[in-house]
Amino acid sequence: MTKQKKNAWAIFWAILAMLYFFLPMLGTFIFSLRMKRGVLSFMAYQSVLADSHFLESFRYSATMGIITVTISVLLLLPTVYWIYIKAPWMRAAMDIITILPFVVPVIVLVFGLIRTFGRPPFQLTLTAFGTDILMTAGYVIITMPYMYRAIDVGMRSVDVRTLTEAAQSLGSNWLQVLTQVILPNLRIAVLSGALICFATVMGELILGDFLVRPALGSYMAGVGRSKAYEPAALAIISYGLTWLCLGLIQYFSRGRQDGQLTGR
Amino acid sequence: MAQLELNHISKSFSGTIAVHDFNLAVETGEFISFLGPSGCGKTTTLRMLAGFEIPTSGTIRLDNRDLTLLPANKRNMGMVFQSYALFPNMTAAQNVGYGLKVAGKPKAEIEGRVNEMLDLIQMRDFARRYPNQLSGGQQQRLALARALAIRPQVLLLDEPLSALDAKIRLELRQEIRRIQQHLGITTIYVTHDQEEALSLSDRIVVMRRGVIQQVGTPQQIYNNPAGDFVAEFVGHINLLPVEVDQPRQGIVRLGSQLIRAGQFEHLNGRPVRLAVRPEELKSGFVEGANNLTGKIESVTYLGAIVRIRVDVDGHLVSLDMFNERALNIPAVGQPYAIHFPVGACWLTNGEKE
Amino acid sequence: MKNKQLNRKSGKDPSRWKSLIGLLPFFFFIAFFLVMPSITLFSGAFQDMDGQFTLANFSFLQNTFALKSYLTSIWVSLITSVIGGAFGFFVAYATTSGRAPRWMSTILTTFSGLAANFGGVPLAFAFIATLGRTGFITALLKGICLNGPDGAAICPFNPYDHGFNLYSVVGLILAYTYFQFPLMVLTITPALEGLKKEWVEASTNLGSSSAQYWRYVALPVLLPSLLGATILLFGNAFGAYATAQALTGGSIYLVTIMIGQQIRGDVLGNPNEGYALAFGMVIIMSITIFLYVMLQRKTARWIKS
Repeated sequence: MTKQKKNAWAIFWAILAMLYFFLPMLGTFIFSLRMKRGVLSFMAYQSVLADSHFLESFRYSATMGIITVTISVLLLLPTVYWIYIKAPWMRAAMDIITILPFVVPVIVLVFGLIRTFGRPPFQLTLTAFGTDILMTAGYVIITMPYMYRAIDVGMRSVDVRTLTEAAQSLGSNWLQVLTQVILPNLRIAVLSGALICFATVMGELILGDFLVRPALGSYMAGVGRSKAYEPAALAIISYGLTWLCLGLIQYFSRGRQDGQLTGR
Repeated sequence: MAQLELNHISKSFSGTIAVHDFNLAVETGEFISFLGPSGCGKTTTLRMLAGFEIPTSGTIRLDNRDLTLLPANKRNMGMVFQSYALFPNMTAAQNVGYGLKVAGKPKAEIEGRVNEMLDLIQMRDFARRYPNQLSGGQQQRLALARALAIRPQVLLLDEPLSALDAKIRLELRQEIRRIQQHLGITTIYVTHDQEEALSLSDRIVVMRRGVIQQVGTPQQIYNNPAGDFVAEFVGHINLLPVEVDQPRQGIVRLGSQLIRAGQFEHLNGRPVRLAVRPEELKSGFVEGANNLTGKIESVTYLGAIVRIRVDVDGHLVSLDMFNERALNIPAVGQPYAIHFPVGACWLTNGEKE
Repeated sequence: MKNKQLNRKSGKDPSRWKSLIGLLPFFFFIAFFLVMPSITLFSGAFQDMDGQFTLANFSFLQNTFALKSYLTSIWVSLITSVIGGAFGFFVAYATTSGRAPRWMSTILTTFSGLAANFGGVPLAFAFIATLGRTGFITALLKGICLNGPDGAAICPFNPYDHGFNLYSVVGLILAYTYFQFPLMVLTITPALEGLKKEWVEASTNLGSSSAQYWRYVALPVLLPSLLGATILLFGNAFGAYATAQALTGGSIYLVTIMIGQQIRGDVLGNPNEGYALAFGMVIIMSITIFLYVMLQRKTARWIKS
């Protein structure tokens, strides 16, 4: 009802923030166009896209992202569902457990993973496949807080207990309830969680770098050490990718999403 | 000289008129209610008094001092909000003492006044509690004490009971009246609940679409409503479409039955409606009263009263009866005779609103 | 229905433990990939080379190199959480309840979501491309003239000739702020929106000035959220690795960078000291997250009422 005065200070901070957001983006974009001396061109982008290592690492990270999302959903969806139906008293404890990945920084996690599974009896780091298992496990752990929260919020909003009781009273068994009633109602929540997971995996540096797998993050770090203009192009591409994932989430959920994605 | 005067107050929000030409003079110690449906401008008027809105035109005078443009924090009017608006970070005592604290009063004085106020609302034992440890009713009493602590010249209450349970609402209603009379403080009370307005007020201002419909005592408002809107909004009423039968004798016709309604030359020839409150109607036939016959359409229990609807030549007429044990409840469809005194009804110009 | 009743009654009911069966895969996963690696590090932190219990590994705190890495990490995290927190708070204040034009608020809220999630290597690249030695803004600045303190014109103005260096702690703080302040905007906005309009009005009505309202009502109500959010930013910066690594090539010794080098090749000369280093990080992060959760709960209680 009341018309708020347009506060000069508010506008000052807003403009400062927008400059902080856009100047580096703008600077990076213009810089990325300057590869060819004297003219603006997309040469840096062509150079990146023509690099077979880029495509390879992109494909690798995308595959890892999809596998991570799949495992994360398979692990967390039944777990959260079970908690809502059978063990609601566990919810407070789960909130704490799923925040634990924040307590262990990624660099510490990867340190622990290498020292635990790189030795007998596991020796997972001996083969590429074993290392990929370790990578996926790490990704699932890193992204767990986001995925858990997305699913938890979804379950809370659809009142799964009543839905389950209704479906059971109509003769469904547990599996049918989960796949035909709960999952369709949680599509958006699961999708948001999945996109956050995916974006995180695509931008992650530490796991790929220390487990020596050809992930996108490590590839970018390598390019950064050896080239001048391509990194700027990669930054823009990466910006676009994060943008796309978040845009999709906002498109699907139309709600506020918060928290951060990348393990830095 | 009235203590508080509102002269030709109008307010519009980006072209929409919220309040139009509002005039009112309030005497010291008077309890005034602004009554009306949501969007009628009652809250906007209250907020203009508090200083949260500036009138588009008109003046507000308190003790003969113009405060139309005075900032809200200089007006010395205590306000109680619908949502309590207690500060969650302060104890009950700190909330009550807040106004004195920001005014820079000495500690001892604040403490004394806070205790006095907490005693007034009988909440001394809760002084150290935080708002979230108190019930809704307690929170609102505290908000009242907080508003009164600054010794305001006028107390403003914005639908203070709407957020509370029915039972608490009734209790607190009496408490508000008790405290108001005890302190003799001028009070403006905004509500959409006609029962609250009738039971609390010295005078009621009925508003509709930003315009005052009627100002009067509860009796005046209820018994002599100025227009159909007031009649319908305050209490229940039968508004029956009647045709003028014998203008000189003051007789109208409902269906085929005649009703004596008093003088109405001014309505001659125009379609009119007969207004009569359901509690004025009784069952049976009485010589000299207006008598109607019809068939029982429905019977509804409302606790203390029973509302009977009678179909009189195709028009539904409601009558309210006390729910006594001896009451003989008629069956639906049964023929039924009703009557009401000639003086209990009046005619309106029949504009459908 | 029966289960529900049983569960509610039971403190020691065996069925309560039975109801955990479905959670076994989850617990197994956590135990295997989060708890076990942590235990490896923790137990290593308290063992000497022969596997005997010792506290000697924590003598790294006497190793100026390691100690300095902790101090640098804490310092950088503190600075960026305070700067990013204050900046983010003002921005959030500007965007809530229409104090800045609506289109600005929309852009800021959307970009906060993006920027808080944008970090690591690409962020470092963006800052290098913008403020690096040959970066876009550096190049722009080189093209303009400034009057120096002695009145003489400095042409061209190269910030790198005047103490600025992106590949330093200053650059690190600039880059971290890029994701720190949007995270602040995201975490503090709900708290700002939780400030009820009626509180200002009640306060004003009781005679307070705007400053008094902020001092006695708004800031105390926001304090737990502000502290909580700032602590979250601290943790966010403290655990960061990729941005620093890519920006400075590991030349600034943060704890995370130290641990990275310890993983690659025992720079400390004692693997168990590396574990102790990591253990210390987990302790600091635990305290951080614990405080954050506690403050969040306090806030939730207030905002609910």
